[in-house]
Amino acid sequence: MSDLWSALTLVLIALLGGIVRVSTPFLFVSLGECLTEKTGRINLGLEGTLVLGAMTGYAASYLTGSPWLGIGAAALTGMAFGAFHAILCQLPRVNDIAVGIALIQLGTGAAFFFGKPFIQPTAPHMPSIALGWWSSNPDLQNALLINPLFPMGIALAIFLRWAFRNTYWGLIVRTTGDSEPAARDLGVSVNGVRLAATSIGGLLAGIGGAFLSLSYPGSWNEGLSSGQGLMAVALVIFARWDPVHCFYAAVLFGTAGAIGPALQSVGVTQGYYFFNAAPYILTLLLMVASGRSKRAARDMPRELAITR
Amino acid sequence: MVAPSKVGSWSLSVSTWLHYRAETSIIPALALLASAAYFSVFLICLGKSPGEFFFLIARGGFGTLFSWQNTLVRAEPLILTALCVAIPARMGLVVIGGEGALVIAGFSAGAIAIPLDQSVAPMFITLAMGLTAVVVGACWIGLVGWMRHARGVNETISSLLLTYIAIAIVNFFIEGVLRNPADPNRPSTKAINPDAMVGAIPGLHVHWGLAAGVILAVLLYLLMDRTTFGFAARIAGGNPRVAEAQGLSVGQLIVTGCFIGGACAGLAGFFEVAAVHGRANAALHANYGFTGILVSFLARHSPLAIIPVACLFGGIGAAGGLIQRRMELPDATVLLLQGVVFVTLLASETLYGRLPFFRATQDSHT
Amino acid sequence: MTIRTDQTAPGRAIGLDVSSVSKMFGSFAALKDVDLKVPAASFHAMLGENGAGKTTLVRCITGYYHPDHGKIAVDGHAVTIASPRDAHRFGIGMVHQSFTLVPSLTGAENLVIARTDRPLVFHWDSELKRMNEFLERMPFRAPLDVPVWTLSAGEKQKLQILRQLYLNQRFLILDEPTSVLTPDEAEELLGRLRDMTRAGELTICLITHKLREVRAFADEVTVLRRGEVVGVGRTTDLTNADIARLMVGDTPPPSRWTSRKPAQPAGHPAFEIRGLAADRDDGMAAFRDIQLAIQPGEIVGIAGVSGNGQSALLEALCGQRAAVSGEVWAHGERVPPTRAAFAKHRMFSLPEEPLKNAAVGRMTVAENLALRTFDRAPLAKGGWLSSAAMRRQANDLIGRYRIKTPSPSAPIDTLSGGNIQRTVLARELSGDVGILIIANPCAGLDFTSTDAIHAEIMDQRNRGGGAPRFRGPRRDPGACGSRGRHVRGAHYLRRINCGHRSRDNRTLYGRRKDGRGCYLISRSDERGALFVLANGAFASGSAAHHFVSDRSRADIAGPAAISGRS
Repeated sequence: MSDLWSALTLVLIALLGGIVRVSTPFLFVSLGECLTEKTGRINLGLEGTLVLGAMTGYAASYLTGSPWLGIGAAALTGMAFGAFHAILCQLPRVNDIAVGIALIQLGTGAAFFFGKPFIQPTAPHMPSIALGWWSSNPDLQNALLINPLFPMGIALAIFLRWAFRNTYWGLIVRTTGDSEPAARDLGVSVNGVRLAATSIGGLLAGIGGAFLSLSYPGSWNEGLSSGQGLMAVALVIFARWDPVHCFYAAVLFGTAGAIGPALQSVGVTQGYYFFNAAPYILTLLLMVASGRSKRAARDMPRELAITR
Repeated sequence: MVAPSKVGSWSLSVSTWLHYRAETSIIPALALLASAAYFSVFLICLGKSPGEFFFLIARGGFGTLFSWQNTLVRAEPLILTALCVAIPARMGLVVIGGEGALVIAGFSAGAIAIPLDQSVAPMFITLAMGLTAVVVGACWIGLVGWMRHARGVNETISSLLLTYIAIAIVNFFIEGVLRNPADPNRPSTKAINPDAMVGAIPGLHVHWGLAAGVILAVLLYLLMDRTTFGFAARIAGGNPRVAEAQGLSVGQLIVTGCFIGGACAGLAGFFEVAAVHGRANAALHANYGFTGILVSFLARHSPLAIIPVACLFGGIGAAGGLIQRRMELPDATVLLLQGVVFVTLLASETLYGRLPFFRATQDSHT
Repeated sequence: MTIRTDQTAPGRAIGLDVSSVSKMFGSFAALKDVDLKVPAASFHAMLGENGAGKTTLVRCITGYYHPDHGKIAVDGHAVTIASPRDAHRFGIGMVHQSFTLVPSLTGAENLVIARTDRPLVFHWDSELKRMNEFLERMPFRAPLDVPVWTLSAGEKQKLQILRQLYLNQRFLILDEPTSVLTPDEAEELLGRLRDMTRAGELTICLITHKLREVRAFADEVTVLRRGEVVGVGRTTDLTNADIARLMVGDTPPPSRWTSRKPAQPAGHPAFEIRGLAADRDDGMAAFRDIQLAIQPGEIVGIAGVSGNGQSALLEALCGQRAAVSGEVWAHGERVPPTRAAFAKHRMFSLPEEPLKNAAVGRMTVAENLALRTFDRAPLAKGGWLSSAAMRRQANDLIGRYRIKTPSPSAPIDTLSGGNIQRTVLARELSGDVGILIIANPCAGLDFTSTDAIHAEIMDQRNRGGGAPRFRGPRRDPGACGSRGRHVRGAHYLRRINCGHRSRDNRTLYGRRKDGRGCYLISRSDERGALFVLANGAFASGSAAHHFVSDRSRADIAGPAAISGRS
C-alpha cells in the first residue's frame, strides 16, 4: 500500500513539474494566436513559427552564450514570420488557411535547413527559478524548478484580458475582428491592425518555440515540435478567445501532455504512444464538442471565417 | 455577344475557353519561375551555384532512364496523396491529412497480411491488403469530412491532428504488439510474403502503383468534370449556399469527397507497403503526404494536371541525394525549396484577373 | 473652426450650405450642380428615388468622396472636407442605415471608442460617470452595459444616434433611421430629435422615403432626381402629390404587366407554410410560427426591413437554413428541402444578392445556367454530363434573355451585376414554374429591366403558379402583390384586414384604431389581407385595424397612388 502511495506521490510531483513545463509553449502560442484571431485573422502557420523560433533561439544562445539573447532572436524571427503571413494574407484573393499551411512548410524547412549544425552542440539553457527551496524532497524541488517564462505568460494573459477591455488599442483590436466596416468608419486601418497583431502573435509563438529548445526538452532536433502550434490554434477556439481562458486551456493541455512522462518517471512505460497521442485526441474531442456550440458562435470575432 | 454563324460562335467560344484556361496555367507557371528565381538568390547568398542546383535536378530527376525510374517511383505516392487533397478541395475543403491516411492505411495493410500469410494464396493476400488500405484510408479522411459537416470542425486542423494520431497509433503497434521479432533494431511488422508483393511494370523498374495512380487520376478527372456527381460537388465547393438552394445535400457531397480522397491516400499507403518496403515500418512516414499538398495546389486541384506536377516533384526528390552529395547541402534543402514554391504559388493567386493581358481582353468583350 | 472635444457642454446647432456641387464617376454624372441649404437648428428632409444621388451627396458632405466642383460651408465658414475625420471635426455626423456598431462591444465601449481624443487607457469610472451625465441630458436612452448584439434594432438605432451626440456632432444626417423601428419608436425618436432642433441644439437632415414623417417632422424638403435638385420648399407649401411627382417625374413609369384576378381555388393551396420557425446563426430566434397559404395564381408579397426575419424565412424556404420546427407544403404534400422535391413541385427561387446566393462565381455562364437541369435529360445521361447539350441550352437562354457575355464559357463573376441577375432569372424562370420564391429581384437593375422582370413574374403567375414574394426596404416603384405580408420586428405574423379603398380604386388603406393612419398601396384590384410580423403572438384575422408600417408601401407608389391623409 505504501508503495502505491509513494508511487502516486511521485507521479503527482512529476506531473506538477511537467504541467508547468509542457503548458508554457502552449500558453505563449495560444496567447499570440488569441491576439491574431481577435483581429479577425487565423494564422495556422504558427506551427512553422514555433519550430523556426526554437531553432533560432537555440542557435543564438549557442553562438552568443546567452539564452536571453536566444529568446530575443526567436522573438524577432517569429515577429518577422508573423508579419510575412499578414502581408501575404492582405493580398486580394489569397486564402489565409492555405497561407498558413504553406508557412508551416516554409518555417519547418528553413528551420531544418539552417539548424543542421546545431543538432549536436549544447546551448546554454534558460535559468530556472527554484520555487522548491523550502522542501527537502529532491523530486519536489526538481518539479518546482519553474522557467521564468511561465509566470511571464500568466502575467501576459492577465494583461491582455485587461487590455482588451480597458485600452484604446484593445478595443480597436476587438472592433477590427468583429466588424470591418465599423473599424473603417473609425478611420482605423484594418490591414495595419492585423499586421501588428499577427506580428506580435508570431513573436509570442517564437518565444514559445525557444522555450522548447532552451528549457524543456532543452535541445534542438528535427522532431522537437509535433503539432503544438496547431493545437494552440484549436485551443484558442476552445478558450472562446479570452486570454485567461487560454491560460486554463494551456494548463489542461499541459496536463494531458505531462501524464505520459510523469508515469514514465515511475517506470510505467506501456502506452507511451497513447500518452503521446493524448493531447491530439483531447484537441480533437474539444473541437468536436465546441464546434456547433451557439456560445462559440456568439463569442467568435465575426470577421473570423474559420469554418467558412 | 454570340456571333450569328454557328462556326463563328464555336470558334469564339473555343478561343475564350482557351483564354480562361490559359490564365490558370500561366500564372502557376510564373509562380514556379519566380520561386526558382528567389531560391537562386538564396543559393547565391550561401555561395552556391543555382545553375549547378537546377542542372543536378534535371539530371538526377530526368536525365537518364535510371533517374526517370527513380522519379516515377517517387511520383506515384505523390499523385495519390495529391488526389487526397484535390478531391476535397474541389468541394471547398482544405484537407491536409493525406500523410496520416497513408500511414495508417499502409500499416493496416501490413497488419492484415500477417494472419493471412500462411492460409491464403498470395494473390488474395495482395487483394485483401489493398482493400483494407483503401477502406481504412477512406474512413480516416471520411471522419474529417463528417466532423466538418456534423460539427463544423475546421477540416485543416482536424486532418492534421488525425495525422499525428495516426503516426502515434502506428508507432504504438509497430514497436509493441505487432513488432517483428526478427529484426530488433528496426521496428516494423513482419515482412509480407514476397509473392504477395506488387510487382513491377514490365520493361520499367517501377511498380504497378504508378499505373494505378495515373489511371485513378484520369478516372477522378472524369468523375469531377464529366459526371453529374462531379458537377454537384463543384457547386458545393464553389458556393455551398447555392448548392443548398438547389436542393443538393452539401454534407453528403463533402463526406463522399473525403472518402474518395482518403481512399487515394490509403492506396498510396498500400503500395508503399506492398510494393516498396514489404512491411509496415517507420519509413511509411516519408512526408509524401505533405509534398502531395503542394502538388495539388500547384496543379490547381485538377486531377489530370497532378500527374505532371507529381513527376516534377518526384524528380526534385529523386535528385535530392545527388544535390546533397555534390553541393554539400543538407537534406532539408528540398523541403525549403518546396516551402518557397508553396508560398510563392499562393501569393500568385492575387494575380488572377489583374494581369493586364488577361484583363484587357476581358474588357473588350463586355 | 473650433474643434469639438468636450462632450459635457451642451452644443450649439450648426448649419450647412452646399452650393453647386457636382460629382462624376467616369462618364456618369452622379450629382449635377446640387445646392443644399440647411439652416442651423432646422429639420430638413431629403427625398429621392434610389439612384437619385442622395447617397453620393451625403458621402461628399461626410468626406468619403471629394466633389468635383462646388463649395461646402459649415456654420457660415467655407471648408474643405477631405476625409471622414474632417467631417467629424467640423461637427458633421452621420447615422447610417446599416449599423456600424461593433456587435460584441457594449454600448459604452462603442461610445468610447469613437472619441477623437484617443486616450491610451480608459478609466471606466470617470468614463461611465461622464456618459451618465451625458445621458441625463438626452431625450432618450439605450442600454450601455450589454453587448450590442443583444439589443433590438430600435435600441441600436438610438445608440448610434447617441454616439453622434456624444461626440458633439451637431449636424446629423440620418439615413432612413426609422426603417427598423416600430412606428411608436419612430414617432418618439423623430419627435425628440425635432425637440432638440427646436431647442437649438441640433440640426437634422433626414433621408427618408416616408412622406408621413416628412410631413410630421420636417421644416423643409429637398427633392433629388437623377442627380439634380428638382424641388425645394417648406413642407407646409408642398402636398404629398407634389412631392411624389417631383421624386418620380411627371409621367408614371410604363408598366407592361397585366394583372388578373386569380381563379378561386379548388383543392389544395399551391404553397403552404405551416408553423415554420428558424433561428439565426447566433442562436437567437429569427422567426416563429409562420403560417401562410398561397392559392394557385396568387402573388403574395412579404414586405419587411432587413434584420426582421425575412431573409431567414427565404433561406428556410429554399433549404439554406434548417427549420427548428414546422413544415413547408405544396399541392397537398410535404416538401422537404431536397432536389427531388423541388423538381417535383417545380419550385424555383430568386434570392437576393445573386452572386452570393444564386450563382457559383467560378463556374461558367453555361454551367450556372445548368444548375437546375444538369442532372436530368437532355443534359445528363446515366450520370454523364453532355457538354454539347449544356452549351445548346446556354446559347438558347443567352439569346432569349439577352445576357451580355463574351461567351458561354466565361466565368460568371466576370459579368456585370445586371447580367448575373439575368442569368439567374433565365435559369429559374425559363422552366415550367409551379412555385416561385423571389427576394428583391430587381436590386441594382435599371428601370426597363425591372419592368421586364416584373412582367415575367406576372406572366408566371398568370400561368397558374403561385409566387410568394419578398421585398426589402428599398423597393422599386411599380410592383406589388395581390396580398402583402409584412415581416418585421421579430418573429410573428399578425394579420390585418384592409377594408378601405380610395376612390380611384388604386389604393388600399389600413388604419390604426386610434385613427392615426398609414398607407398600403396595391395596384391590384383585389382586396387582400395583409399580414404583419410584429413582436407578438400570432393573431388571426379578426383584428380589423392593425398597424402596418407604411414604410413598405410608400416607396412603391406611383404619383397617382399616394394621396392625402396623414
